[in-house]
Amino acid sequence: MKIDTGNFVRNAKLEMQNQYARTFLSLLPPYIAARRVKVMGSFPDPAAAQELSRAIRAEAVARMPDLLEEFEKNAVAAGARVLWARNAAEANEMVLSIARERNVTMVTKGKSMISEETGLNDALAREGIEPFETDLGEFIAQQLGRPPFHIVGPAINVPVEEVCDLFMKKAGMQEETTDPVELGYAARLFLRDKFRRARLGITGVNMAVADTGAIINVENEGNIRFNKSSPRTQVSVMSPEKVVPTTTDALHLLRVLCRNCTGQSISAYVSIDRGPREPAEIDGPEELFIIIVDNGRSRLYHDPKLREALRCIRCGACLNLCPVYAKIGGYPYGWAYSGPMGQVLNPALLGLEETSDLFNACTLCGTCREVCPAGIDHPAIFLHYRALEVKRKRRSSGRWETILFGVWGTAAAHSAVWRFLYRLARPVLAVFGNNGKIEAMPGPFAGWFGARDLPVPARRTFRDQWRESLSKQGGAS
Amino acid sequence: MGTVSLFIPCTVDFMMPRVGIATVRLLRKLGIEPCYHEQQTCCGQPALNAGYLDQARKAAKHFIDTFGDDDVIVSPSGSCVAMVKYHYPELLGGEPVWCRRAEDLSARVFELSQYIVDILGIDDVGASFNGTVTYHESCQILRRLGVSRQPKALIEKVQGTTFVPMEQADMCCGFGGEFSVRYNFISEEMVREKAGYYLKSGADLLIVSEPGCLLNIAGYLSRNNPEKTALHLAEFLAGPETDENT
Repeated sequence: MKIDTGNFVRNAKLEMQNQYARTFLSLLPPYIAARRVKVMGSFPDPAAAQELSRAIRAEAVARMPDLLEEFEKNAVAAGARVLWARNAAEANEMVLSIARERNVTMVTKGKSMISEETGLNDALAREGIEPFETDLGEFIAQQLGRPPFHIVGPAINVPVEEVCDLFMKKAGMQEETTDPVELGYAARLFLRDKFRRARLGITGVNMAVADTGAIINVENEGNIRFNKSSPRTQVSVMSPEKVVPTTTDALHLLRVLCRNCTGQSISAYVSIDRGPREPAEIDGPEELFIIIVDNGRSRLYHDPKLREALRCIRCGACLNLCPVYAKIGGYPYGWAYSGPMGQVLNPALLGLEETSDLFNACTLCGTCREVCPAGIDHPAIFLHYRALEVKRKRRSSGRWETILFGVWGTAAAHSAVWRFLYRLARPVLAVFGNNGKIEAMPGPFAGWFGARDLPVPARRTFRDQWRESLSKQGGAS
Repeated sequence: MGTVSLFIPCTVDFMMPRVGIATVRLLRKLGIEPCYHEQQTCCGQPALNAGYLDQARKAAKHFIDTFGDDDVIVSPSGSCVAMVKYHYPELLGGEPVWCRRAEDLSARVFELSQYIVDILGIDDVGASFNGTVTYHESCQILRRLGVSRQPKALIEKVQGTTFVPMEQADMCCGFGGEFSVRYNFISEEMVREKAGYYLKSGADLLIVSEPGCLLNIAGYLSRNNPEKTALHLAEFLAGPETDENT
C-alpha cells in the first residue's frame, strides 16, 4: 500500500474538515471507553487479567524465535506448508506463485493487516488476479480505493449515502437504499458469489499457537471462516509476533483481545484450525499455506528498545482512546497502522525519516499505555524515537530548536545563566503584551495564539518575590 | 519533621508566580515552613520530551545537586514530579553514581495534593468558597502518579463548595508542551473540547493541578470564554491573599 506518512500534517488538516468523520470520532473515547470498562469488569479482577495478558505477550516475544520453530513443526505435522518471507516483496511473490500454479484469477480475502502492510492487493491486481476483500468495512474501503480508517472499522467514517452509491456502481445493488440491513444484504449477495467461485482464500492470523500448530482468527462477520472453509486452497499470512506459546495462553489473550477491541466478551466468530481438511472432515481447504512475513521484525527483535513494539495484538484499544486520533482519524498516519499503534509500528518498520510527525504529534498523555493489554509503553517509545532524531541531527522541527536547547542545556545547569537569560528574554516577550496577556506573537511560538492567550512573563518571578518578601514573611509568622 | 523544600516549575516561576506564592501560603497555613533553593532552574522535561537527552541530563544533575539533601520536596506540578521520580533514574542509568542519587531522590518528591493528603494526612485545609467546582485530571498526575482522589478530597472539604463532575475529566487537554505549538491545529481542538466539558458541567470554577494544563485551558478561556475561570488547586486552597493573617 502507498506510504503517505510524510504528509501527516496536510492529511490531518484535511481530515479535520470532514464533519461526518468528526461526529463519529467524537463518540469514540466516551462511548468505547465506557463499553471497554464495562466488559473488562466481567473479569473478577480486570487489572490481573490485563497483567496476565501483558505477561503472556512479553513471554511470547522473548521466546519468539523458538516458538516460531515449534509452531512450524506442529503446523507441518498437521499438514500445513509453512513458508518464510523476508520482506513484503517475497511474501507477495509467494502468494502470486501459489495463485499462478493453480490458474487462479480471483481470490477472496479476510481482513489482514500484514497484507495491508505488504500491499498484497496491489501486487495481485498487477498480475491480473482480482482480490476481493470480504470484511464489509474492508470491502467498502477497497472499492473506494482508500486505506483503512480504523483497524476494526476500516470504513466506519464513510457515510451511508456514499456506501449506497458505491454498491449501486460496484456491487450490483439494484435499488437505492440507506437501510444498513439492505446494504449488508447487497454486499452479502455480491460476496457470496465470489466465495462460491473462489479457489483461493487469503486470511490473516490473530494468533498462531506454537504447541499445536493451530491458527486462530477472530471476527464478527463470518467471512474469515468462509475463507478458511470454502476455497480449495487457503493462504494465511502472518507476522512472526503472532505466535503464542500454548492454547491456554491464546484463550486468555482472546478474552482480553475481544474486550479491548470491540468491547465484546467474545467476538461472533472465533475459528481455531489446525492444518487443512482431513479425509473425514466435511469442510476446510484441501491445502493450507502459512506465510510468515518478517518484513523488519527480526531487526526490531534485536533492538532492546523496540522489541516491545512486537507485543502489539492489534486490538485497537489505543486508537479508540487516543485523544489525538479522536481529532484526526486514521488516514493521517499514512500506512497500515494508525493511532498510537501506528505511531509505534510505522516508524519502527518504515524508518524515522518519513514518519517524524507520527511520534511527535503526541501529548504523551499515556492513555494508550494505560489501556494496552500487551504492555507497550507507547510514550517511552516516542521519546526514544525523538531522541534518535536528535542524535542523527534529523530533528524535523528545525534549527531554531537545536540552538534553543543547546543554550537551554547550559542555562539549566547554571542558575545565574538561567536567570540572566530570562531577564534578557522577558522584555522582548513583554513587547507583545497587552493588559497582562499576549494575544499574538511572531516566531517559533506563534502557533500557540490561534485560539489561546498567554500571560505576559512576570516582571517579578517567583524567585524575585521569594527574595524580596515571601521568605521574610515566613520568618515573621 | 525535616526540611520541606519547594520545587517551583519554571512555568510557575516565570509565567504564574501567583501559583508559587499560593503554594507557600497554603503550606504555611498547614504549619509547614518551606525552604526554597534559589539556584533551582528547570527539571528538564521540555528537553527530554523533545529528544535532547544530553541537555535533559544536565538539568537533572543540577536538580539532584540542588535538592539532593532535602527530606521532602513538594511541587505544584505533577509532570515535573513525574520527571524527577520516573525519568531521572532512567535518564542517568548509564552513570551509576548519579543513577543511585536519582533513585534515592525519587521517593522524596511529591505533588502538592499528594503531599498534603497522603503525607500530612490532611484533607480539610480550612478554606472556603461559595459555589460549584469541577476538576481536570491532568495526564501525568492521574496516570503517572496515580493521584486523583487527593485533589478531589481537598476540594470537597472546602467550606461552601459543591464538587460537580465533569465529563471526560481524564481526557488530555491538548497541551503537551511543544505539541501545543507545533500541532496547534490539533491542540486547539482538544482544548476547545475540554473547555466545552467545563462549560457543560455548569461549575463556577475549574480547578487544575498542573501548570501546563492551566496555561492551556486558562489561555483558551481568556480568549473565548473570559467570564469563566480556571485556577490552580494551590490558589483555590490558599484563598484570597487578603484573608491571610501574617
